[in-house]
Amino acid sequence: MDMSKGKKILGFLSLLSLTILLLVAVDSLPKRGLPDAPAHQVINAAGNTGAGAYFIQSAYEDAATPNMVTVVLGDYRSFDTLGEVVVVFAAAIACYLILRRREDEEK
Amino acid sequence: MSDLLEYVQDRYAYWAIVLLMIIGLYGMLFKNNLHKKVVGMIIFQNSMILLFVTAAFKWDATVPVRDPEIDVQVVENYLNPLPHTLMLTAIVVGVAIVGVAFALLIKIYDNYGTIEEDELLNKLESPSPEDDGDCDTNDTQRSSSPKGGSA
Repeated sequence: MDMSKGKKILGFLSLLSLTILLLVAVDSLPKRGLPDAPAHQVINAAGNTGAGAYFIQSAYEDAATPNMVTVVLGDYRSFDTLGEVVVVFAAAIACYLILRRREDEEK
Repeated sequence: MSDLLEYVQDRYAYWAIVLLMIIGLYGMLFKNNLHKKVVGMIIFQNSMILLFVTAAFKWDATVPVRDPEIDVQVVENYLNPLPHTLMLTAIVVGVAIVGVAFALLIKIYDNYGTIEEDELLNKLESPSPEDDGDCDTNDTQRSSSPKGGSA
């Protein structure tokens, strides 16, 4: 209600054009479920080993755990998971600092 | 007709994700209530998570858990585990963001008595003395009241 009418129309138009742009861009994505997609290749277009295919092939040899997602999360990317824990800890501390009742605030 | 059906089958998941993303953006841009803005942000986050999970999908593949009866060396047999892992991380970070956002909303409501954006802007521009929770007026009341020294 606060927004002026011109601003609102401009916002709707930009949202509409973004929708059309993205729907057109979907055409150049790999088809859904096709195993030939670049992300699934054993050797990718740059000539390197594709990460997803490598994890499927050698996760069990490297970490002796059947669940590949667990292996990626806990072994290959364990430092990433450690950073994630730091993020959650920071969020918890931030929530406490925001919500605590300070002494000078009590009535 | 079957060509058209195939065209839609290859793309409908991405179309749905684009629409979800636009719904989330609409909520963040046009809603006046800050809580509804946060809900729009959650919808936006989840559309991105769905995009990555959709990209990991392969026809006729099984979940990325090693089955001794299915050959691990043939990559087409298993879904791509990497996007799933990344989205697991994204979900956790998203929950942390939403938690902090709601904590801020609670604090804003405590201090100003509203989470409607226009009312909030009005109160910020011209703080009226009868706003009971407002920080600035609270300080002036405390310093001018006789009880301030004893507390």
